[in-house]
Amino acid sequence: MSGTADLKGLRQEVRAWLEANAPKDWREAATDQGRFLEIQRGWFRKLADAGYAVPHWPANWPGGGRSLGEQKVIYEEIARADAPRLILTFVSTYHAAATLLEWASAEQQAELLPRILEGELWCQGFSEPNAGSDLAAVKTKAERRGDVYVINGQKTWSTMAQYADKCLLLVRTSSDGAKQAGLTFLLMDMRAKGVTTRPIDQVTGDEEFAELFLDDVEVPVSARLGGEGQGWQVAQSTLASERGLTLLELSERLRGSLWRVGQAIKGRGRQADAGIQRDFGQLVLRVEACCALADQFLLKRIAGEEKVGDASIVKLFYARVLREFTKLGLRVEGMAAQLREPITYGGGQETGNWMADFMNSYAWSIAGGSDEIQRNIISERLLGMPREPKDWKVPGNSL
Amino acid sequence: MKIDRVELQDSARRIFAEGALMPDRDKSWDSIVEMGWLALSVPEDLGGLGEEREALAILHMELGRVLAPASFLAAALAVEAIAGAEGFAGREEWIGRLIGGELVTASLGGSAAEGETALSGTLDAVPDADKASHVLMASETLIVLVPTDAAGLSVAEQTIWDDSRRLFTVTLANVAVDDALVVSRGPEAARIIEGLREHLYVALAADSLGGAAALLSLTIDYLQMRRQFGRPLALFQALKHRCADLKALLDGAQALFDTSLAGRTGLPIDRGSEAGAVMSHVANTYATVAEEAVQLHGGIGLTAEHHCHRFQKRALLNGVLGGTNDDWLQVVGKQALERLG
Repeated sequence: MSGTADLKGLRQEVRAWLEANAPKDWREAATDQGRFLEIQRGWFRKLADAGYAVPHWPANWPGGGRSLGEQKVIYEEIARADAPRLILTFVSTYHAAATLLEWASAEQQAELLPRILEGELWCQGFSEPNAGSDLAAVKTKAERRGDVYVINGQKTWSTMAQYADKCLLLVRTSSDGAKQAGLTFLLMDMRAKGVTTRPIDQVTGDEEFAELFLDDVEVPVSARLGGEGQGWQVAQSTLASERGLTLLELSERLRGSLWRVGQAIKGRGRQADAGIQRDFGQLVLRVEACCALADQFLLKRIAGEEKVGDASIVKLFYARVLREFTKLGLRVEGMAAQLREPITYGGGQETGNWMADFMNSYAWSIAGGSDEIQRNIISERLLGMPREPKDWKVPGNSL
Repeated sequence: MKIDRVELQDSARRIFAEGALMPDRDKSWDSIVEMGWLALSVPEDLGGLGEEREALAILHMELGRVLAPASFLAAALAVEAIAGAEGFAGREEWIGRLIGGELVTASLGGSAAEGETALSGTLDAVPDADKASHVLMASETLIVLVPTDAAGLSVAEQTIWDDSRRLFTVTLANVAVDDALVVSRGPEAARIIEGLREHLYVALAADSLGGAAALLSLTIDYLQMRRQFGRPLALFQALKHRCADLKALLDGAQALFDTSLAGRTGLPIDRGSEAGAVMSHVANTYATVAEEAVQLHGGIGLTAEHHCHRFQKRALLNGVLGGTNDDWLQVVGKQALERLG
């Protein structure tokens, strides 16, 4: 771990670099999807070239190998500079990278990871209309025909899938035995014949998610991660990255954005209101606790002491605090927040458009395993409370 | 920290075994003296171990876990005050007496008496004053030891809901200040008192974390054991989710406390307000865990026989000894608003 002096040096270096390179006025500019894509792609390229895009990757990849302390400095400074969060490449640099690093062959890694740094975009094809919280109920079918799997089915809630080049795809290769045991994990080319994407209109007006329709899509058997029937285990790596690693960046961002709530309070002349002072004080402490939790979690993970369920605590905590954050802004702004202002595409969780931010906060309490799923995991895996009996049945096929 | 964390925890659990709640006041004190806990934070040149607050925090966490009496906290404050008073002629002698088991107590409520040569006023929330030889009186400009048998000093027990601790008021009516017992005066006294306040906050927070963790695990054990509708209560998702929320809340409070103790937080408030703010957040978390614990226990949680209410009463007392949550939240909010936005 780097010393405090090294961290100070890095902070100065990052700060100076950001001053020269961080996009300015991007919030005003990000008024449609086209501009959003342009800003995101340009910003990612700059960060990747400077070695700040993937500080959480292992040391043998360019830009990787940063200590936890260094990662925090980088995230803090990016948030402080109010530069865009890397939303477009989020799934690529976290979910895809974490999964590939754990399951892909050396050849696959050497081929795919550098492409991520060049801007290749990944999406995640996990959820389906009837497999959300019950992810293991995935129905999208993959039939083996020689060297390929032929895929048929539908995926949904796939972040940025409409722009993606590749997809982390969870499919069913067998209907026998436990439903988890019949799943297989494939790396699908989004340009393959038979792939159709349709963006989903969201309550905020944004289109961050898409549906995927897969009709006789052929995926080479060589593009499989893990063995046939091992898909559930591979998917756990993807999900774990979402529940753990990403939250260090996000909680630092949240702390770095507290000034927005402060600004809203002052803007409404509420800074002398004792009730508002207390609510803001509570939020400040909750955000700090969230950062501390994410920090401790990563230290545990690095030390190999992580327990199943630890990541769920961090995710649940973050989702709750993010809701509290946006709700306080919404409350303070009153009627002003009810006037529909244009949203900042890709503005992240804290844009100061409080109604949009508030509604966006559900992304974290629902996506990647809802709060309710996290509570199941925490109570069963960490607190040792019993699982619900498996023999619960209703008439009809549950798959 | 020089001592190994786990080792210290283990040695604490040898005296205060998990689940052996509400240990006897005299026996606890004797064991603490015997284990040398009072020497833990004393500088090495005065015969102590020179440990930082992290080590004390571990002990307070263990004491909170078993609902131990409060004499150690008061005595540890006295030790810190005396060890920090470099001009105090009786420093070495008194450190020796304290390590040797003479009980000097102090107010946990931060109250002080007035006067420079004679003291008048009331100190409240003074643990075990009935057993102490002296009370450490700390005003902003004067820190002095007052013998509990001094003329004009009277001790009265405060009847409190928390029956795991015994607190007293110590009333001073024109009690003469013995120059030989003046620990510190002036700017040094003010600096020491600043440290004592932080010490108190850290101790209360650690006590709260230990208590909350013990109570949550007691509650889950109960839910596992208690059967209704032909199944353990722990199987009901409505109850599991509430326990999960408490676990997340508690882990967050613990992380905040650890990070603050290690000086690694990024709170947008004065450094001097941090320990108190963190303490208040942690004590409030303890109170939330306790509130839910009684409800999750159902009827048995309302019986005097069950320990549930003892944790709750201690949690609520912890939540006011170092200042109320309302006040602390306002301090944090005000300061953060000055710095942000």
